[in-house]
Amino acid sequence: MSTQTATRGTHRPRVATGSSQKFNDHSRPAMAFLAPFVGLYVLFIIGPAIYGLVMSFFDTSLVKPGLSTFAGLGNYAEALQSADFWSSLWHTIWFTILTTPPLIVLGFVLALLADRVGRGRWFFRLAFFAPFILPSAVMALIWIWIYTPGLGLLENALKSIGLGAPNWLGDPAWAMPSLAISTVWWTLGFNFILYLAGLQDIPTELYEAAAIDGAGPWQQIRSITIPLLARTTTLVAVLQVIASLKVFDQMYIMTAGGPNFSTRSVLQYIYDEGFTNFRVGYASALSMLFFVVVLAVSAAWFAIVRSQESEV
Amino acid sequence: MNLPLSSHQGSGRGPTRRTFLKGGLAMAGLGLGGTALAGCSSDSVASGLTVSRKETNSVDFWNLFGGGDGVRMQEMLDAYRKTHPSVGLSAVTLAWGNPYYTKLSLATLGDKPPDVAVAHLTRAKTLIAADLLEELTPDALATVGITPDKLSKRAWDAGLVDGKAYTVPLDTHPIVTFYNTDICEKAGLLDSGGKLKPLTSEAAFMDAMAKAKAVTKTYGGVSPINNETSTPWRIFQSLYSQLGGEVLSDGGTKVVIDEDRAIKVLTFLDGLRTKQLFPSSVDYEGSIAMFANGQSAFLFQGEWEISTFQTAKTPFSMAPFPNLYGGANYACQADSHTLCIPKQPARDDKAFENSLGFIRSLLDQSDTWAAGGHVPSWLPYAKSPAFKKLSPQSDYAVAADGAVYDPDGWYSGSGSDFEIITGSAIGSVQAGQQTPEAALAQMRTKLQTLADTASPI
Amino acid sequence: MTTTSLEAARRTPSRGRVTTAEVDTRTRLFNRVCLGVLIAFAILWLVPLAWALDTALKPNAETTKTTWLIDNPTFAAFTRTLQETDILRWYAASTITSALTAVFTVVTASMAAFALSRMNFRWKNWVFWFIIAGIMIPGQVLIVPQFREFNSVGLLNTFWAVILPQVPTAVAVFIFKQFFDGLPRGLDEAAMMDGAGFWRIYTTVIMPLTRPAVAAVAIFTFVHTWNNLLWPLLVLTNPKLMTIPVGLATVQGSFGIRYADTMASAILGALPLIAVFLLFQRHIVQGIAGTGLKG
Repeated sequence: MSTQTATRGTHRPRVATGSSQKFNDHSRPAMAFLAPFVGLYVLFIIGPAIYGLVMSFFDTSLVKPGLSTFAGLGNYAEALQSADFWSSLWHTIWFTILTTPPLIVLGFVLALLADRVGRGRWFFRLAFFAPFILPSAVMALIWIWIYTPGLGLLENALKSIGLGAPNWLGDPAWAMPSLAISTVWWTLGFNFILYLAGLQDIPTELYEAAAIDGAGPWQQIRSITIPLLARTTTLVAVLQVIASLKVFDQMYIMTAGGPNFSTRSVLQYIYDEGFTNFRVGYASALSMLFFVVVLAVSAAWFAIVRSQESEV
Repeated sequence: MNLPLSSHQGSGRGPTRRTFLKGGLAMAGLGLGGTALAGCSSDSVASGLTVSRKETNSVDFWNLFGGGDGVRMQEMLDAYRKTHPSVGLSAVTLAWGNPYYTKLSLATLGDKPPDVAVAHLTRAKTLIAADLLEELTPDALATVGITPDKLSKRAWDAGLVDGKAYTVPLDTHPIVTFYNTDICEKAGLLDSGGKLKPLTSEAAFMDAMAKAKAVTKTYGGVSPINNETSTPWRIFQSLYSQLGGEVLSDGGTKVVIDEDRAIKVLTFLDGLRTKQLFPSSVDYEGSIAMFANGQSAFLFQGEWEISTFQTAKTPFSMAPFPNLYGGANYACQADSHTLCIPKQPARDDKAFENSLGFIRSLLDQSDTWAAGGHVPSWLPYAKSPAFKKLSPQSDYAVAADGAVYDPDGWYSGSGSDFEIITGSAIGSVQAGQQTPEAALAQMRTKLQTLADTASPI
Repeated sequence: MTTTSLEAARRTPSRGRVTTAEVDTRTRLFNRVCLGVLIAFAILWLVPLAWALDTALKPNAETTKTTWLIDNPTFAAFTRTLQETDILRWYAASTITSALTAVFTVVTASMAAFALSRMNFRWKNWVFWFIIAGIMIPGQVLIVPQFREFNSVGLLNTFWAVILPQVPTAVAVFIFKQFFDGLPRGLDEAAMMDGAGFWRIYTTVIMPLTRPAVAAVAIFTFVHTWNNLLWPLLVLTNPKLMTIPVGLATVQGSFGIRYADTMASAILGALPLIAVFLLFQRHIVQGIAGTGLKG
């Protein structure tokens, strides 16, 4: 294999001068080392990406072989004019709006508290991060049970303090907020850990200096902690937004996109069109549009990070 | 970074890697243990690594029956296990509606479908058009004694495609009238035999509801509206069909809603709300509760809720959905549960035989199934004295003959996008959120979009 | 940390309007409030899992009473779940697919990264950017064509359908390359003087030093594959082959109102990963923290 090739012919051991490798061409062993990854990459990432792009121009069907009839830009036109597509996009954005601020603020605040308290950090890490390690299906089953009308824990807790409770997952106005609440519980731990790491990077001398100047805890947080965590916050925000764009699991399991499609996300719409309605050509066009949206958000992040780094 | 030099002797294995390896071995052990436990049959998990097909003597059955239906189906499955101990039966229940049919299609495409599956007659049509079901030839069915003359004609004919059969109907489940016998007696709505007097016109219906409301002091009748699209559709479709109206034609490519007839029905439904005979905001569970505790004298729903009220000991009986417009052409919306055999990747005669035997066994237990409210399609039981004595089922069995199935279309069928679009428009009228004209326009537009979309099958 | 620095501040005479005593009490009160709030939130966060466990230990009939007290605690829900569902098969399926994906990812990505980091060839940059471009493509965008692909070669409902698309992870290559770039070239050169070829260098010099990256990539790939729902949902439609997330999501309808059984299946579904978390907590946390530091 490549061992034989390498030792036999390509290069002879030389006395280390630091530049011994410069004039060698390692194309053949490189190919051997790259082949497994690149092979799988082309077969299962690049290939399907191209195939998906091609399919988006045809009315391909899941239950028929081949590409079927040519549709030109028809699928894209349909998608852009489809109320279902835009509402699914809106639902996804609404979900993002409902989850991102709480996840950032809570993550930051709790990390701040944990950092300040110092002791027992393992307990807080466990409490906040354990949900993150759960599969979405487990989280969904637990929250469906918590949200069950009549028997659910949340409803009973609210009733015991005299408040009423809506039909969490069955009321179109409350379904998405309910999904958001369970998502915050599920994923907060990740941000908590990110912020905690960022906080531990801040040198204590800064706080000491500020304390000497008479700055109270609040002031210290405002003038030292928050500005220095700007990069972490940006990272958290972007990861959060991009992950929210790809949301599927919660909707699929907890509300099936309902009630009345009020929680159907873009990805779930793609799933419904491609796999329930068999219209894979149309679903491919939707996937391409979705890809553009994700790309745009990523590009925006890149630009923000670039500008932040040039400031620093 | 402190790095040990020259790892030729392999001294570089540190504790972390060891921990990882240990963990990995532990995981593998768990997996192997799991495999060992699950791997006793040839259908082991390890088969996930090979493209193997099962060859054992077994039947995989998928259904979508939860609740009372689920319990009854379990009984029938247990009876099958007793009479066929050598055949390994494994049954899976999946969530009702689109998720069920998506999974069934994907499993068939993925070459590992169940041997037998339940399918609504209207959804089976789509599966047949997508070439996902095996044809059930007369000869094949005859091997287990199933012939068309032993099955309800309406259900059997409705399931044929180009004269070929792909499904065997188990039942027809129409929308029916539940009525509280105590309240109706007080309201003077029962005949001398204690059965509901037929309501054969809009005026008679409204009158009866008003009389019932006078007794309940809340509502005359109820049907679910909130977060519910099937029931509003079923009610509309029953009345609209009695008027002779159709919604789709040409395999779902044309929307042919008759404006006048549709408005007539929607206006009538709207009137039930404005006259406060029916509540305008109630969900499925709420409607059940209202009927069970006597806040409403009537409930219009599918017959499957019979067990709920029997358990709740509500004094009730059932009758066919009212024939307000139909006269001699009675119509009520219904669908049938059918049994079908998805296309298997390789023809296995033994498996096919087992599947047919299983289907026959379920038909033989139509008595258990009918106890759940469904109208059996298996005539040897449906025409028997035993069924005729079954009350109140025998009171509304005739409705199955007037069953109107959802129109053909790749996007149509029970729980499909078609029902969701129509049901939400109709429900919005019942809830007072839209005028009949606006709702009809909404329905027409959305259905037209689907009708214009090229069929993927 | 911060507390000590403030204590240090306390000992130094402060300038300005604030007295040392005031700083002292204010800080201590503030700290106490912080601890209280933190503990409250932590308990709040533990409630759902605790409630699930509580429900799972009740007989089904008792679940209609919404109370933490259990009259007749029992493990029956767990045994029923183990017997009536295919959850043991799902364990095996999840373990096999996650472990194999992790192994293949570590091997292929590190090999590719090794070539990119340690070798010279003309088209090296092209290949690097070609691979990194893959980070921009979210896997979810590819589910439709990937499904068609696996359907056409008849690999649906096999574990390979789950494993293969998840192995080529560009991020893994990136992580390994970053790590390799940080290892001194002197090691390679020393090995080459001893007559070692690239394969020997890779296996005996570089990889043994790559423990942190291997651990990070392996664990994250394992967890990510384990928790993946959308793709396995499409390709594993035989209940006997499903992974845990797919199995739980698919057959949840069959439990009906047997809430104890449903919660038992959820707890059982969570156990393996909780075990992974407890075993590899440090690595997981370090890995996430590392993401933040790298920005």
